[in-house]
Amino acid sequence: MPRLPHSSMTPISIVTKDSPVTKHQTFDALAAQPRAVGAVALSMGAGGLKHLRQQGAMKALFPRVDEAPQVVLVNSAGGATGGDRFSVDITAQAGARLTVTTQAAERAYRAQPGETAVIRNHLSVADSARLDWLPQEMLLYDRSALDRRLSVDLAPSAQLVLAETLVFGRAAMGETVREIRIADRIEIRRDGAPLFLDQTRFQGDLETHMAQPFTANGAGAMSLVLVAAPWAAAQIEPIRAILPASAGVSLIRDDLLALRILAEDSFALRQTLVPILQRLSGTLPKPWKI
Amino acid sequence: MGTGAPIATSTGTPRMTMTTDLLTLAQWLSPAYPVGAFAYSHGLEEAISAGTVSDAQSLSDWVTTVLQHGSGWNDALLLAAAFHAAMPDEVDATARALAASKERLQETDQQGAAFAATTSEVWGIDLPDLTYPVAVGRAASLMRLPLPETSALYLQAFASTLVSVGVRLIPLGQTAGARITQRAAALCAGIASDTQSGDLDRLTSTAFLADIGSMRHETLYSRTFRT
Repeated sequence: MPRLPHSSMTPISIVTKDSPVTKHQTFDALAAQPRAVGAVALSMGAGGLKHLRQQGAMKALFPRVDEAPQVVLVNSAGGATGGDRFSVDITAQAGARLTVTTQAAERAYRAQPGETAVIRNHLSVADSARLDWLPQEMLLYDRSALDRRLSVDLAPSAQLVLAETLVFGRAAMGETVREIRIADRIEIRRDGAPLFLDQTRFQGDLETHMAQPFTANGAGAMSLVLVAAPWAAAQIEPIRAILPASAGVSLIRDDLLALRILAEDSFALRQTLVPILQRLSGTLPKPWKI
Repeated sequence: MGTGAPIATSTGTPRMTMTTDLLTLAQWLSPAYPVGAFAYSHGLEEAISAGTVSDAQSLSDWVTTVLQHGSGWNDALLLAAAFHAAMPDEVDATARALAASKERLQETDQQGAAFAATTSEVWGIDLPDLTYPVAVGRAASLMRLPLPETSALYLQAFASTLVSVGVRLIPLGQTAGARITQRAAALCAGIASDTQSGDLDRLTSTAFLADIGSMRHETLYSRTFRT
């Protein structure tokens, strides 16, 4: 069964194998559709892949590259809607280095009332290992309902580069995000102790909320970039030098740099974000090329 | 006061206790209490310098956003969580991890340490160095002070500190400043009431430009405030 494209208030058309003729259904009738489930669990050692388990709509690709191993996550369901459940669990073993991205932007589609798309991502980075978590944008469509958690466990000498981007504005989406339900949590622990926590919970008219002058002043895309590594301090000046006025960077602790960028849409955001990620991560995976 | 149990009760003794309790809270959360609140702008100085806060209306908007959608809400939850917790350590670690910038961490760390030092000395309670809302919540719990009033007064003190930054830097008249704080009172009471559970799953911040402002404050050329 094809995945449902995003929102419209009117009944939508669905073509199935059994009924080649376009057939109108209301959203209520769709409540019983099967839910997408997908999971990837993998473990990378210093010498290469040690363990891989893939299930359902989530898969991992391993492009041949000269640099450190890359993992490209693919969601064959094309997005997440209410009732879907996706998870990624990645371990970088001692001495390993890998960069993880997604093949395409992830999409949180319109959900049925009372249903939520659940995404649980977990990263574990061992001593002397480094993991760069650089998924492409998460696009939030009108009437989507998303419960997403990214939790990262760092060993004392583990290194992490992380970038998460949300896109929610009319300019970027081609539609107005009027009603949304989101709980988005990014949590990093070092040696078991909380190092960084960012939590966004919102229900209601996101576009109006983000239009306020001191929330996002009408921005339609936002990135949070984190670097947890001993070399984080050396990056702050060069990054600061290229930031627009709608972005800020701070060395919160000696080994923790945080960067937040707001932009009109994801294209404008990438103008700032991509050079910074190139600087932090070296050669970016292909899906990131602009 | 906004929410919570009424101050006057049907029996005589609790009323006397509540009055003393309120005076303790008023002292802790007064600008005269030596936590150095006047030295921190929470990034507001950057917004004023950049011109995005330039009059009474924009100051009121900035303060309201930070109270309702930023540190105000989160601090009230952390304060309540610390109030309910058997030990404050875990809540305190969460509060530190939640800091959106270096100066935000500095602000909550330094005010919390100053609050703990004076309060443990004067009241003879065991209050280690904690972040500011956690220290206040823990102290209120140890002293058996009422949580709703503690939260509401904490939020009003925060609002009032921010307004005084605006009055000084924009500059604005004292009356205009007083009006903003007065209008924020209902919001402070409402947030205090909504956060009594101290459920940290409900932490949320969408005051993104206020957070970015606090990052940009680090390199502000001429600074009156530490944050």
